[in-house]
Amino acid sequence: MYRAAVIGLGRMGSTFDDEISSGGAIFLPYCHAPSYAASPYTELVAGADLHAEQGAIFADRWGLDQEHIYGDYREMLAAERPDIVSICTTARHRAAIIQDAIQAGVKAIWAEKPLTLSLAEADAIIELSARNSVAIAVNCSRRHSPFLTEARRMAQSGELGDILQITAYTECYISHNGSHAIDTMRYLVDGDVEWVFGEMESDEEAAGEEDLMGNGYLAFDNGVRGYIRAMPTGIAPWEFDLIGTEGRVRSLSNGAETQYYRWVPGGLRDEGLPARAPFPLPLSIQGTGLSVIADLVNAIETGSDPRCSAEDGRKALEIAIAMRESHRQGGRRVDLPVADRSLRILSVEIGGDAVPARVRRLQQEPVVA
Amino acid sequence: MSESKFRAAVIGLGRMGSTFDDEIEQGGQFFMPYCHAPTYTASPRTDLIAGADPHAEQGEIFADRWGLERGQIYADYREMLEAERPDFVSICTTARLRAQIMIDAINAGVKAIWAEKPFTLSLAEADEVIELGNRKDVAIAVNCSRRYNVFFNEARRMVDEGELGEILQITAYAQCNLSHNGSHSIDAMRYLAAGDVEWVFGEMESDEKAAGDEDLMGNGYMAFDNGARGFLRGTPTGAAPWEFDLIGTEGRVRSLAQGMEAQYYRWVPGGLRDQGLPARAPFPLPTQIPSSGLSVIEDLVDCIETGRQPRCSGEDGRKALEIAIALRESHRRGGRRVDLPLADRSLRILSVEIREDAVPARVRRMQRN
Repeated sequence: MYRAAVIGLGRMGSTFDDEISSGGAIFLPYCHAPSYAASPYTELVAGADLHAEQGAIFADRWGLDQEHIYGDYREMLAAERPDIVSICTTARHRAAIIQDAIQAGVKAIWAEKPLTLSLAEADAIIELSARNSVAIAVNCSRRHSPFLTEARRMAQSGELGDILQITAYTECYISHNGSHAIDTMRYLVDGDVEWVFGEMESDEEAAGEEDLMGNGYLAFDNGVRGYIRAMPTGIAPWEFDLIGTEGRVRSLSNGAETQYYRWVPGGLRDEGLPARAPFPLPLSIQGTGLSVIADLVNAIETGSDPRCSAEDGRKALEIAIAMRESHRQGGRRVDLPVADRSLRILSVEIGGDAVPARVRRLQQEPVVA
Repeated sequence: MSESKFRAAVIGLGRMGSTFDDEIEQGGQFFMPYCHAPTYTASPRTDLIAGADPHAEQGEIFADRWGLERGQIYADYREMLEAERPDFVSICTTARLRAQIMIDAINAGVKAIWAEKPFTLSLAEADEVIELGNRKDVAIAVNCSRRYNVFFNEARRMVDEGELGEILQITAYAQCNLSHNGSHSIDAMRYLAAGDVEWVFGEMESDEKAAGDEDLMGNGYMAFDNGARGFLRGTPTGAAPWEFDLIGTEGRVRSLAQGMEAQYYRWVPGGLRDQGLPARAPFPLPTQIPSSGLSVIEDLVDCIETGRQPRCSGEDGRKALEIAIALRESHRRGGRRVDLPLADRSLRILSVEIREDAVPARVRRMQRN
């Protein structure tokens, strides 16, 4: 059993799964503490949070003694020597905490998204973790979706023919949940983005560093083209559409449905018709968080990269920043990598982060569709 | 011949002028009669009275098939216009000659023109035809047939009456050369989004193609003046042939597989956090399904009688061409946003259909099969 600790004991660290009423995008356990508690590979041994109330709730809920809850994560790292540490704080401090955890000798890190605010921070983390052989998984959870993983397998094995297009309708801020949307596009296409075009929600937003909505066109190195609409998507919430010459997979309504199409004879001039076939169901579906932990354990034991690595986290951020740069430059194509590593996006989740996200959410009015 | 009937003539007696409907095995994208001669023959508002084509063989076949005397078939369309004084004239020749023939027809005093697409090769030609047509009160309909398709009409009615909420996105997967069948896809996007394009970003199939005047494939992002955004994939679309996806805040319409299926979505309760789910409802079937060609004739007759513009006007034809050219300009300028209208009116695309137009399209098609 690996000794696991959580830094940031609020929403993603502890209570997020309570909000979820149906599966698809994720299966439970999903967030950090419930996953460590359920995993056969881990024992949840400690937590750290500046906010004493969150520590008390966390200890009660996950059966830890109060002495294993720390106000200062550095003290926790020194005293508890965890093997795996989750970083579920505001993104504002993620880079510093990841670096401290690496220096403290952890074997693996399970980091919330976005990985960092700036490209320079991401560069520093990736360099340090490589030097210290620390596995870092970024929690872009769709890489652990059994449906999207099957779609990627179909793409890689050639069952969809040549992959041509990936479209995402994913209303989001391009750093915050854009981390998910952009990473999923890269995952499904199995390629890297060479250049982008982007339009942001406004010139004012594009000029600043605050997180923002926008749309983009992505040119992948394997010839695939991507279109992301992260501006409001109305009645097309969180949809991915992977189109190949021989087949197509659509993930609809935040993963609640997966569609699969193949050619059958027919059509206007007998050129064939795309027909919907049942999407292959996986043999088993485990909790998303359990899949992340199994992946990290494998990374620790074999030296492999996690399925969503820090490099993947950096690339999602870099694509988002490049889309904003495209707008800033008057709407022109921007090549990757981005030369200016000081560029950053202040992920929307850090707005108001003096109050924990769990508490902010409790204070929010219920969402009405 | 009853007094209420208009005298109709066809210029270009080959594929679109006469035989196209023979190729079509199923409805959806259009309903028969669709092309020019069979439509004039079937319409209660028109009599087919003459044809013109420099290829004698096409004239003979045309006369036989549509019951015209040999004296009503002309090699020179100018002679035909002068001798027959038609009210309606269809222009189904190669696009190379379209602008000149339209100008000659307007000057010969026709009341209405039913022109094949693309409208013209250059923007300057389009400007000249539209200016002359307006000055002489000649109604010009461009045969972008989706405007005369009841399913697209119903989708547009839903937009106009607010049933889909605010329109956010129009996506087209439509493999095509941007002038040739791009005329259809771009026009259908404009029709469904019910707006005009203010600026575009485009990527063409290659730098070499983008540098020339030949017709070409490409993808584009379009910013509409009503806030909608468009994505067109005109490069190969694999298992997503000719698809339009119209997304609003309250509803969505998808036209799939060359119009063979129309899908309609509305919100129902449910979802990951009870934020609602888009559910497929039956697409409202029309009470009647009119033929595509007869709808064009009815539209043109109404334009003659009331002076209004046709549903797919010369202006619509010019705008589709201008958007296609702007997409190419965007690529030519290294991948940057291009604002409409375009200042350089000499820009043109040599629509792919004119490439081998020494041999009629009907004959080329037979030779291919």
